[in-house]
Amino acid sequence: MSDEIKWNRTISDVNDGILANLGKPHPSYYIAWGAAIICVLIGAFTWGMEMTVGVGITGKNSPVYWGVLITDFVFWVGIGHAGTLISAILFLFRAKWRNTVNRSAEAMTVFAVITAGLFPLIHMGRFWFGAYWIPPLPNTNNLWANYRSPLAWDVFAISTYLTISLLFWYMGMVPDLASIRDRMKGLRRGIYGILSFGWRGTAKQWHHYEAGYGFLAALATPLVLSVHSIVSWDFAMSIQPGWHTTIFPPYFVAGAILSGCAMVYTLLVPVRTMFRMEEFIRPEHLEACIKLTLLTSTIVFYAYGVEFFVAWYSGNPYEWGIFEKRAIGNYAFYFWVMVFCNCIFPLIWWSKRMRNNMAVSMFVAVLVNVGMWFERYNIIVSSLAEDFLPGSWGHFQPSLSDIALSVGSFGWFMFWFLIFCRYFPIVSMSELKLIMPKPLSKKH
Amino acid sequence: MTSLDSDLRGLEDNREVFVAHDQPFEKPAKEFVPGPFFVSIEEAMPDLAEESFAEDSSGEKKLAVDRRDLMRLFGAGALLASAACVRRPVEHAVPYVTQPADAIPGIPTYFASTIDRVGVVVKTREGRPVFIEGNPEHPLSQGSASIPGMSELQALYHPERPTTPRIRFGDRLVDASWEDVHSSLADVLKESKKVGFLIKGTTGSSIQFYKDFLKQIGQSEDGVYLLETNTLFNSMAEAHRLAFGVDGIPRSDLRRSKLLIGVGTDFQDGGIASIFETKSWSAGYTFRNGVKGRFVTFENRMTQTGSKAAERFVIAPGDELGVTLALVEALLAQGGSKGSASDKAHIKAVVDSQKALIDSTKTRLKLDEAISKLASEAVQGGAVLLAGESSASTQNGTLVQVAAIMANVLLGAYESSLLFFSQGWFKNPSRPGDIARFIKDAASIDTLFVVDVNPTFVLPASFGLDAAFKGIKHVVSMNAMPSETDMYASHVLNTHNPLESWGDEELVAGFWSIQQPTVRSITNSHQAQDVMLWVAAKLDKPMGFEDYRAYLRKQWQVLHKASGITKDFDTFFMAIQRKGFYVSQLTKRENATNFADVSAIFKPVAIGEGFKLVAYLDSKLGDGSHSERPVLQEAGDGLTTIAWDTWVAINPLKCRELGIKYNDLIRIKSPAGTIEVSCYPMPGLHFDTIAIPRGNGHKNGMSKISDGVGVDPLTLLEAVTDPLTGDPITAGQIVTIEKVGKRYRLAAMQKHNDIANRKDIMPVQTLSGAVKTMREFKNLDDVPDLYPSLSLKPEDTASGKDKRGSSWLFPMWKASDTYRWGMSIDLDRCNGCGACNVACTLENNIAHVGREQILIGREMTWIRIDRYFSGEVNNPEVAFQPVPCQHCNHAPCEAVCPVFATTHDEEGMNVQTYNRCIGTRYCGNACPYKVRRFNWFTYKWGVMGDRPVDRNPRALNPDVTVRTRGVMEKCTFCVQRIRDAKHNAKQQGRAIVDGEIRTACQTACPSDAITFGNLLDPNSRITRNRRDNRSYLLLNGDASKHEYGLKTLPNVNYLMKVRHDGSQGVAANSSPAGMEHP
Repeated sequence: MSDEIKWNRTISDVNDGILANLGKPHPSYYIAWGAAIICVLIGAFTWGMEMTVGVGITGKNSPVYWGVLITDFVFWVGIGHAGTLISAILFLFRAKWRNTVNRSAEAMTVFAVITAGLFPLIHMGRFWFGAYWIPPLPNTNNLWANYRSPLAWDVFAISTYLTISLLFWYMGMVPDLASIRDRMKGLRRGIYGILSFGWRGTAKQWHHYEAGYGFLAALATPLVLSVHSIVSWDFAMSIQPGWHTTIFPPYFVAGAILSGCAMVYTLLVPVRTMFRMEEFIRPEHLEACIKLTLLTSTIVFYAYGVEFFVAWYSGNPYEWGIFEKRAIGNYAFYFWVMVFCNCIFPLIWWSKRMRNNMAVSMFVAVLVNVGMWFERYNIIVSSLAEDFLPGSWGHFQPSLSDIALSVGSFGWFMFWFLIFCRYFPIVSMSELKLIMPKPLSKKH
Repeated sequence: MTSLDSDLRGLEDNREVFVAHDQPFEKPAKEFVPGPFFVSIEEAMPDLAEESFAEDSSGEKKLAVDRRDLMRLFGAGALLASAACVRRPVEHAVPYVTQPADAIPGIPTYFASTIDRVGVVVKTREGRPVFIEGNPEHPLSQGSASIPGMSELQALYHPERPTTPRIRFGDRLVDASWEDVHSSLADVLKESKKVGFLIKGTTGSSIQFYKDFLKQIGQSEDGVYLLETNTLFNSMAEAHRLAFGVDGIPRSDLRRSKLLIGVGTDFQDGGIASIFETKSWSAGYTFRNGVKGRFVTFENRMTQTGSKAAERFVIAPGDELGVTLALVEALLAQGGSKGSASDKAHIKAVVDSQKALIDSTKTRLKLDEAISKLASEAVQGGAVLLAGESSASTQNGTLVQVAAIMANVLLGAYESSLLFFSQGWFKNPSRPGDIARFIKDAASIDTLFVVDVNPTFVLPASFGLDAAFKGIKHVVSMNAMPSETDMYASHVLNTHNPLESWGDEELVAGFWSIQQPTVRSITNSHQAQDVMLWVAAKLDKPMGFEDYRAYLRKQWQVLHKASGITKDFDTFFMAIQRKGFYVSQLTKRENATNFADVSAIFKPVAIGEGFKLVAYLDSKLGDGSHSERPVLQEAGDGLTTIAWDTWVAINPLKCRELGIKYNDLIRIKSPAGTIEVSCYPMPGLHFDTIAIPRGNGHKNGMSKISDGVGVDPLTLLEAVTDPLTGDPITAGQIVTIEKVGKRYRLAAMQKHNDIANRKDIMPVQTLSGAVKTMREFKNLDDVPDLYPSLSLKPEDTASGKDKRGSSWLFPMWKASDTYRWGMSIDLDRCNGCGACNVACTLENNIAHVGREQILIGREMTWIRIDRYFSGEVNNPEVAFQPVPCQHCNHAPCEAVCPVFATTHDEEGMNVQTYNRCIGTRYCGNACPYKVRRFNWFTYKWGVMGDRPVDRNPRALNPDVTVRTRGVMEKCTFCVQRIRDAKHNAKQQGRAIVDGEIRTACQTACPSDAITFGNLLDPNSRITRNRRDNRSYLLLNGDASKHEYGLKTLPNVNYLMKVRHDGSQGVAANSSPAGMEHP
C-alpha cells in the first residue's frame, strides 16, 4: 500500500524534515512536558507516602488484594506490545508502512515497560525486600525465589522484554544518531558521537547492522507473544474464577496489541503535528495502524464472547457467577465501558472515511485505551470481589492514591517520551528512505 | 501421709454434682492434665502444701519432689517470707536482671479466678496476665470463658486507665494521693446522715462487706443497692418466689431434655449463665450419636439462639405472656401433663382469668394449631420451657416467668431439666426492687459510693438519675475505668481491675468461686473494699481486717467449718485458690413443688399497639460497661456482623414499605427522646418491631475508644418498670420512626448476606438422613491423583527412600509420620457468637483496625464467621460458618508466593513466614476461602485509624510475633501452642496426647463446635470427626459422588448442619437418607 502513497517529499528532505525536532520545539511541547513533570511529582509524592504510611492508602482490601496498581501494570505492559509487534513482526513480514512509525512505537514500548515495571514495586507491601529476594541471587541459606510462582516468571519475562526492546530500539537508532552527529557541533557532536558508536555507514557496517537487526527482530518476535502470556498467567495460574482460564494468553496478547496500536495512534497524531512530520508519517500509515487496531479489536471481541460462553458452558456456578456479575452486577459499568470502547466503537473503523477522519479516529483510539484499562480493571477487581464464598465478598473502590499513582504513571511515561521526541529522531530516517521513492526514479 | 482426698470431701463432692455426668462435654481425656496447670486438689503435694504457698498457683504435676522442685519451693518460701508483709505496687516493668527464684522466663504460670461470673484460668507470663480461658473444671465455664471475660485483659492494660485518684475542687477534679482520699472520705462520712452503696450486681461476699462497713460506721445496712442490668435475674427470682415461695433461679440442664420451647430467650447471647446454658444446649440440641433435641422458639427479633431453632415463630414484644399462657392452656388440656391436682387447679385459675388474652393472642398470631401441636409433643416428656431476657424486659416480664413456671410444672421440667433446690440453683446477683428503692432513697442519701457500675449509662435517663445524682452531696465513683458517673462525683477513685482484685461469687447456691489477683496493681489503683477499710480506720472505727483478702478469708472460714474438712484453713484456702472454686454441702431441700395460687397478682398490664422498640443486651458489649475494649467493638455482632456501631434492625419488608434502605439514617422518636441511627434490614424480625443493641453511645469521656461510637437506645425509653420487680422496661415501648434523608454506612464485615445459591458451601443433612448414615465413615483424604503416572511410586514411599509421603505430582514438603494437624468445625453447633474470634484476636495479637477500615473491608480477623440467611424474609433459616485458614494440603497460596513466604510444614500446616513476606498479596488472591489478612498499615500501639488508643503492648501475647506493615498473616492453628505442647511432650519423652493442644478458638467456643488434633492418630477425636459421615471439605465437592471441587484438600473439615425432618433421631424409623441444601 505504501507504494501507492503520493509522497510530497523526497529522500533528500528526510534528514532535514525529521531532525527538525532537534531545533526549537513548538510551545505546546513545553506545556506537555511541564504537565508530565507535575504528574510525575504527584505520583512520586504518593509513592513516598505509600512507602512511609503503608499500602493501605490505596483502596485495596480483603478480598480485592489487587486493584488499580496491577491494572496499571498490565495496561502499561500491554501498551508496550504494539511497539514490538510493529518493529519486529512487521519488519519480518516486510510491512513497509511500519518504517514511519516503528521508532516512536519502539520508544513507546521501552518507556511503557519501564513504567509497567514500577508498578509491582509500588504495589508490594515491602518492595525493598522483594527487589532483593526475587532475583536469583546466590545466598548461603540456599533460599531462592519460588519458580512455581507466576510472579517470579513475570520478573524474568519483563526484564527480558525490557532488555531486548531497549537493544532493538537503540540498535535501530544508531545510523540515525550518526546522522545527527554529523549535523552537530561541539559538545553535542561529541555526545551523539558516543551514542552512535562510531557509525560510518560503510557497506560492511550496513551488512552487520542488517544481520543484527534481523536477528534481534527474530528474538523479539516470540516476546510479543510470551510476555503478555506470562502476565496473563499471573491471573490464569491461580484458581480464581474469572482468572483461571486457558483463553487468557491469546486473549491478553490480542488485547495488548489492541491497546498498543491504539496508543501508537494516540501518540503519533499529536506528535506528527507538533513536530511537523505530516509529510513523513502519512495518513496512509496511520490508517494501517488503525486497521491493525480493528483486527485486534475483533479478536478481543471474540475472546470476550468465548469467555462468556465457556463460563456458561462449564456449568461451574463460581465461574458463571463472576461473569454474570460482570455483565449485570456491581461491576457492570466497567464491563460495559470495556465492551463499548474495545468492541463496539472500533466498529466505526470499518468505514474507510472514518478511518481517515483523524479527529474521529483519535477519539475512538483514546476510547480504546480507556476500554483496555477498564478491561484489566474488570478482570482483576470483579473476579476478586465476589469469588467463592459469598461471606467473603467485598467491594473495591479506588482511593485518591490509586488515581494519583495512575496519573503519575502517565506523567512518567510522557516525561520520557517527550524527551525522546525532543532529542532523538522520531522517525527512523534510514528506514524511511527505504520506502520513499528513489530520487532517480521520480523527480519533482 | 494422709490423702487429701478424704479430707477435702466437699471439693470432691462437687464433681459428682456438677461435672460427673458421664463426661458429657468435650473435655481433655482423663489421663491428661492440660498444660503446666494449676493443680486440682487431689494432685496437690500433701506434705508440702502446708507451706505458705498461697499466692503461687504454678503447681508441678509430679508428686515426687526432685531437687529442682525443692530448690524452687525453698526459693518461693523465702520470697514470700520476705514479700508477704508489704504489698508494694510494682511501678515499672523491669527485665529480670535478678531472676526471681520461682519464675522461669518463658514458662507461663496459671491462676484460677472468676471473671464475668465464669471460672477462668488466667495465663500469666513473667508476672503479666496474657490470656484468659475457661477453667475446664469449673462447671459454669467447662473450659470456655465469656467474651467480656476474655477481653478483661484489655481493660487491665487499658491505656486510659486513670493512674491516680481524683478529688473534686469546684469544677475540677484534682489529682490526689490515696492518703488525701482516705482523710477526705473520712471527713465526708463524718458529716453524712445517710450513706449508700450502689454496687454492681454480685452474689459474693462484697454485699456483706459493704453492709458490715455501714454497720461499723453507724449507718443502716439498707444502704447497699445492687444494680444488675440483666432484668432476667430479678424477674425469674421474683416469679419463683411468687410461685413456690422460695428464693432462687433454677439451673436449666438442657442435656436431659428433648424439646426446648423458648419464649423470647437468647440464652446463647445473654441469659443467666450463657456459657453453661450454651454448653448444655450444645450437648442436647446438636446432632450427636443420632440424637438431636428439638428447639422451638417464639421471639420478636432474630437472635443467635433463635437462629439455631428447629422451628421459630415471630411474635411482637409483649406477646410473650399470651403465647406462654396459650401453651399452658394447651398443656392443661392435654391428658399427659404433670403436676399435682392443686398445681393444676392453681394454674387453671390463672389461665381462666386470662382467657381473653390467650384467645386474642392466638387469633392474632394464628398460633392455635401450632401451639396445640407443640403441647401434644411436649407432654410426651423431656420438654422444658425457657422464657428469656427479651420477655423479661417487657412490662409483664415477671408474669411471663410465672407463666413459664406453670408450663414447666405441667411439663414436669422441675423434676428433670430445671435443676432446682436439691441440685443447686443460680443465685440472683440482683435484688428485686433495688433500682426502684435506690431512686426513691436517692433524695435522702448524703454520700453515695458507686462501685464498679455506671448507673448514668446503664439506666435510662428518664429515671431521673441526673437530678438524683446532682441532689446527692457526695458521689464517690469507684471504677477501674472512667465512667459517665464521674461527672457527678466528688471523688473519682481508680480501683482494681478484676484481674488485680480479691473477690468471690456464689454463682450457684452452695457453689463458691474465688477471684484472686493474677498481677499486682499495674496502675496506682486500690481495691474498693480496701479503700473502705482504710476509711473505716481513719474514722477510728476499724473493721479489723488488714485488707479485703483477710475479710474474704474470714468469710471462707465459715465454709471451711461447715465443710467438715479436717485440714487447717490455710491448706483449705490454698487448695481453693488452686482449684478456683468450692462446693459446700448443698442445702438439701425439696424440689419445687406446690405451685401457689398466683391469680391474685396475675394482673398483666395491657400492652399498647404500635411500633415497638426492643433495646437488648448482647454478650459482647452488654450494657456498655465493656465498651472501652477495642476487641469487643471490633468483634462485630454475630448476626449483622456490624462492628463499632449501633444500628436499628428493621424488618426488610417494613423497610420496603417505608422506603428505607440499608444504611439510611432513621430518626426514632419516643416521648422520652429522639435518636438518629442507621438502618440494618434484619430478616426474621417482627414486622412492627425495631431492635437496637445496647452498649454503645458513650459520650462523656469514658474512653476514646467508645466515645462517640454508636447511639444509646436508652435515650428513647420512658421510665416504665415491671410492677413486680421495679426493673426498667427495655422491650415493647412504643416509638415512631422516620427517614432523616441521610445515609451513614454501618461497618458490616459481611457484605453479602445470602448464599447465592451455592449449595455445596453449606450442605445440610436431615436428621433421618444423618441417623441413617451415622455409622458409615467417609474418607475425605482418599482423592485420586490427576497424574498417577507422574507421581512417586508407592514403593519409594513405603521403602522409606522418599519420606515425602505424598503421591502428588509436586510434593513440596516432607510429611511427618507422627503428626498432621487438623481442625473440625461442627456447623450444627456453631451459633455465630464470635467467642472464637475474640479469643483468637487476643491470643494471636491481631490488630484492631476500627470502623473506617472495616468499611473498606480490612478487618484482620483470622477466623471469619460467615452468616447466611436463606428462605423466607420474615422467618429465615440462618447458617453460620466459621472460616479460619483451611490449611490446605494442596494450598493454592503456596504455589503463587514468589519468595516462599507461605509454605507447608511437615505437620500439614500451611505456615506463613512473616520475615520473608514481601507483600505481593498474591496468596490472598489465590486463596479461595479469602482467609488471609494483610497488614495495610503499621497498626501501631497507640494509633488506630483516627482513634488515638489501641492495644497496649503489655497486653500482647509474648509467644506470638507482632506483624509489621506490608506482610500477610492468617490463622496459624495456634502454632505457638503446638510448639509448647511438643516441647513438653519431648521433655517427658512421649507423644502429644489427643486433647493436649487446644487452640484459642477451641477453648473459647461455648458450644464446643471446634475440635483440634492429630489426624494421624487413628483414635483421636479429630480423626473420628473427619471420618464422620457429616464431614465435608469446603469447596472440595462431594467426595461421595467422586466430585473433588477445587481439590485444595484442607486440613479443616466441617460437619454438616442437621435439620429436623420430623424424625425423632435414633429411636425412630429412619426415612431414606438424603442430602438437602438450604
